[in-house]
Amino acid sequence: MDRSSFLHRLYLLIGLVLLQVLFLNRICLFGYVTPLYYIWMIVRFDSSMKRYATLLWAFFLGLAIDLFSGTPGLNAASATLLAMFQPGIVKLFVSMDRHDVVIPGSASMGGRQFMGYLLLLTVLHSTVYFMLRSIPLGDWTELILKVIFSTLLTWIFMLVTEYLVAGSARKR
Amino acid sequence: MRSLLDFLIRHSFVFLFILLETIALVLLFGFNDRQREAFLTSANSMSGSLFEWRTGVENFFSLRKENAILVEENTRLHNLLEEIADSQYVNTERSLSSERVIAARVIDNTVRRDDNYITINKGRRDGIDQGMGVYGPDGVVGVIMASGKRYSVVMSVLNGSTSISCKVKNSDSFGFLEWNGGDPYVAQIKDMPYHSAVGRGDTIVTTGFSSVFPENIPVGTVTDVERSKNGYTLRVKVNLSVDMSDLKWVYVHTETADEEIDELYKQTVR
Repeated sequence: MDRSSFLHRLYLLIGLVLLQVLFLNRICLFGYVTPLYYIWMIVRFDSSMKRYATLLWAFFLGLAIDLFSGTPGLNAASATLLAMFQPGIVKLFVSMDRHDVVIPGSASMGGRQFMGYLLLLTVLHSTVYFMLRSIPLGDWTELILKVIFSTLLTWIFMLVTEYLVAGSARKR
Repeated sequence: MRSLLDFLIRHSFVFLFILLETIALVLLFGFNDRQREAFLTSANSMSGSLFEWRTGVENFFSLRKENAILVEENTRLHNLLEEIADSQYVNTERSLSSERVIAARVIDNTVRRDDNYITINKGRRDGIDQGMGVYGPDGVVGVIMASGKRYSVVMSVLNGSTSISCKVKNSDSFGFLEWNGGDPYVAQIKDMPYHSAVGRGDTIVTTGFSSVFPENIPVGTVTDVERSKNGYTLRVKVNLSVDMSDLKWVYVHTETADEEIDELYKQTVR
C-alpha cells in the first residue's frame, strides 16, 4: 500500500471515530437503538487490499471506538470479525468472473446489489456486537429488537452517505 | 513440506485474525472489576478533553435554561440561609466538620446501558477521591468510582453495583437504593423492613449514616410498594428525582471529618 492511501485511510479512521464517539453514540432511539456507523470504513475495503491489512485496520478502528466508549474489546472484536468476512460477502454480490479491483459502492456493484451487500454486513456486525454486549444472554426478544432496529438505522445512515458520495462523484 | 509452508503463509491472515480476536475477547471478558476500572479511568483521562470540548459546544445552546435553573437554586439557597439565620440554633458539630462541596461539569454520561458511568471534569487535583457522593440540584446522582488527575468516573445511580443508603423523609424507615437495569427514571429500594410506614407519594432522601452523602438530599418519590418474596421486607419502587439523561452540573460532597466512623465501620464489617 502506498503512503497516500495509508494516510487517506488514517484520516478516514480518525474522522469516523470522532463522528461515532462524539455524536452517534449519543443517539439512543426508543432506549436502545444506536447507529454503528463507523463500519463504513470496513464496507469500503477494496478487493486489492491484503487480508492482514484489512484485519489490522478493523481491529484498531474498533479499539479506538472502545477507548472512547468505555467498552474494552467490544467494538474491536466485532469489527475484526466483520473485516474477516467482508471479502467473502463482496463476492456474493459481484459477478464471479470479475478480476479487476472492486471498491464496493453503487457504481461498481449496481444499486440493488450494493443495498443488499450493506444490509448483510450491517446485520452481521449488529448481531455480533449486541450478542457480545449482552452476555450472559438472557433476554432474546430484547436482543433481537436491538439488532433489527440498530441494523435499520445504520443501514439508512450508510445509504444516505452512499447517495451523497455517488452524487458528488457524478458531478465531477 | 513446502506446500504446507506455502499454505500456512498464504493463510497467515487467519492466524492474525485468531490473534486479534483473542486480544479483543480477553479485553472484553478477561478483565476483572479492578482492571476495568483502570481501563475506564485511563481511557477517560485521555478522552476527557475531547468530551469536554463537545460538552462546551453543546452547553452553549442551553445557556438560557441553565441560567434559569441556577437562579432557581440560588433562590432556594438564599431562603435556606435566612431560615438558618432566623433559627438561633447553630449546629456546632456540623460546622466543625471539614465539609466542602465541589461543583463539577458532566462531560460524558450514559443512561441506557446495564451499568452506567458519568465522567466529570474534576479529579484528584481538585480534592476528589474514591467513594465520595455526587448529587445534582435535583438529588442524588452517584458515587465516585475512580479519579484521575483531572477527571473522575462516577458510578451512576443507574449501575448494578451502586447501593445508596436512603430513608423515608421525616421517618426512620430506611433501606438501600438499587437499580436493576431498564427504565432510567425508576429505581428500587430493597430490604426495607416490613413494618415501615411507607406509601405512595412519600419522598425518599439520603440518610447521612455514612459520610458519603449529607443527610436529606432528595432521592425520589415512592410510586409502588409491595411485599418481597420472603415476606419479611418491602420492595419499594422509586421515581428518581434527577433526570439522569439531562445532567450538566453536579456537586461532589467531600467530607473527611468522619474518618473515625469509616475506621470503625471497616473494623466491624470485617
